[in-house]
Amino acid sequence: MSATQLATPPPSVLRMAEGGIHFDGVRAVDGVTLEVRSGEVLGLIGPNGSGKTSTLNLLSGMLRATSGSIHLDDHDLTRLSMRRRTRFGVVRTFQSGRVFGRLTIAENVEAAALGGGLRRREARQLTADILAELGLEDVAHQQADALTAGRIRITAIARALASRPRFLLLDEPAAGQNESEAIALITAIREFAQRRGCGVLLVEHDMSVVMGTCDRLHVLDSGRTVTEGEPALVRRDPKVIEIYFGKRHDHDAER
Amino acid sequence: MTVLSTRLQTPLLLIGITAVVLAVGTAGGPTLERVATLSLISVVFVVGLSTFSGNSGVMSFGHVAFMAVGAYTTAYLTIPVPLKGVLFANLPESLRWLAEVHTSASAAVLLSCAMAAVAGLVTAPVVARLSGLQSGIATLAFLLVVYNVLNSWTDVTRGSSSMIGLPRSTTIVTAFVAAALAIAVGWAYRTSRSGLQLQAGREDYWAAQAAGIAVGRHRAIAWVLSATICGLAGSLYASFLTTFNVNAFFLSATFAFVVMIVLGGYLSLSGAVLGAIGVSVLQELLRRLQDGGLTGGSALPPGTANLLLALVLLLTLVKAPYGVMGARELVLVRGGRRLRRGAQAVRTPAGS
Repeated sequence: MSATQLATPPPSVLRMAEGGIHFDGVRAVDGVTLEVRSGEVLGLIGPNGSGKTSTLNLLSGMLRATSGSIHLDDHDLTRLSMRRRTRFGVVRTFQSGRVFGRLTIAENVEAAALGGGLRRREARQLTADILAELGLEDVAHQQADALTAGRIRITAIARALASRPRFLLLDEPAAGQNESEAIALITAIREFAQRRGCGVLLVEHDMSVVMGTCDRLHVLDSGRTVTEGEPALVRRDPKVIEIYFGKRHDHDAER
Repeated sequence: MTVLSTRLQTPLLLIGITAVVLAVGTAGGPTLERVATLSLISVVFVVGLSTFSGNSGVMSFGHVAFMAVGAYTTAYLTIPVPLKGVLFANLPESLRWLAEVHTSASAAVLLSCAMAAVAGLVTAPVVARLSGLQSGIATLAFLLVVYNVLNSWTDVTRGSSSMIGLPRSTTIVTAFVAAALAIAVGWAYRTSRSGLQLQAGREDYWAAQAAGIAVGRHRAIAWVLSATICGLAGSLYASFLTTFNVNAFFLSATFAFVVMIVLGGYLSLSGAVLGAIGVSVLQELLRRLQDGGLTGGSALPPGTANLLLALVLLLTLVKAPYGVMGARELVLVRGGRRLRRGAQAVRTPAGS
């Protein structure tokens, strides 16, 4: 079972082309084009309100794009519901975890495995494997909403893995943790994903967390792409510095 | 305890509790037997309702309509043909066969369940698409539709006149067997693939969608199954009372059953069973109190019993919003797979 679970799928690409959505005239995401490839971790960063979560919502199907398209290889996902996209292997998590509170941890994971179409026996096996892999065995039969925030975060990831993702879309999985904890968690996620040959889109607002953990960064501001590239290059980009640290000239002018 | 018996202890305990009701009802006089039988029929109904509401988190005010479908089907199939000729003299041409058809008591029970299932299938697509308040209103609308058809289509349903002359085929033993069966089926669904996915949808609809779960489909499955169980309750009810009226399947019955499931705890099967039995006992005690039989004093004003029942409901809702059982199930030995549902955690609203 472990072998099937971890079998590497053929490499593929999740691509949003000129994706956009507006609410009541406000363009939350405005013509963003990005690609995630199997096995890589793409960090989606930007200040608060820059459209990171909206972009993730467009990719996951929680929101329907009002312009542009979303493809998984040759499959057009643009009009598919979130549930159908999950069945295609494009699986998201939520910022607050959103675990199934009155179910146990094992049931949380098993429900997702069943939602992915597995039979009972397979779902239980996959659940046991994932709980062991993520170190959740000791709390497997505890009710989810009785857990600590840290365990809830891990449970949300365990649940996403039970959907057998080809692409994981993670919305600030380390929110509320300090920098070193966040880096440790994302490094661990990176390992789970690479073992499965799975691509990861990671929404994060803390630049220092994504520097060492992402293969590439995509920077958003006001719903538009600012730049994309390797972390070291992106960090030196004047436009990115401007967004994150304010305009130097303004500071100079104020003095 | 083996794993198997640990996992089956909840339904076995619940069936054991209904067996106590059977024993008390059999040992007592005819009045007690009648009360016990009706409370076992309530167990069947409330377990049916819980199969939908408990797993989906969506309260239904329409399930009494399925009970009505079961009761009327049983009436058509079991009232002796000569009597039906008199009762249904004005049947329209296309339904004339209804006056001729006759089946055994057991076939009538099965066909009543089947008809309730059909009514469930017809309404399932709506239920699958609605949540929360809209769903509550839609189920109430369904009850109103069924009630008005039964009340107004006089040539076929006898309208507000009673159905009479059903042979009495429900005994306290058949009511117990049906209650045990309902508990077994309710538990089997609750722990099934569909039941687990529906409970996930109950906890967080969008997170369940994100986990690939077709919440609407599982809601529909639970709806049809629960309709079938409530049809069984209706059939038993009709062939126990041998005469009934359309008003037995309207708001006061709905209220009585909702009190049972809410007091017991609508999220758990144990809550449904304990609520049905507990409220039946409470109602009987309050009735005797009102009559003065309990205290040996004079009778209290009519309506006192209902007032006190409403008070108990109110206090329970304040003290334990999710009922006496919350999301917990009755167990003797802790440590099994789904037996560790913390009591305190139940108080926390879902999704916070």
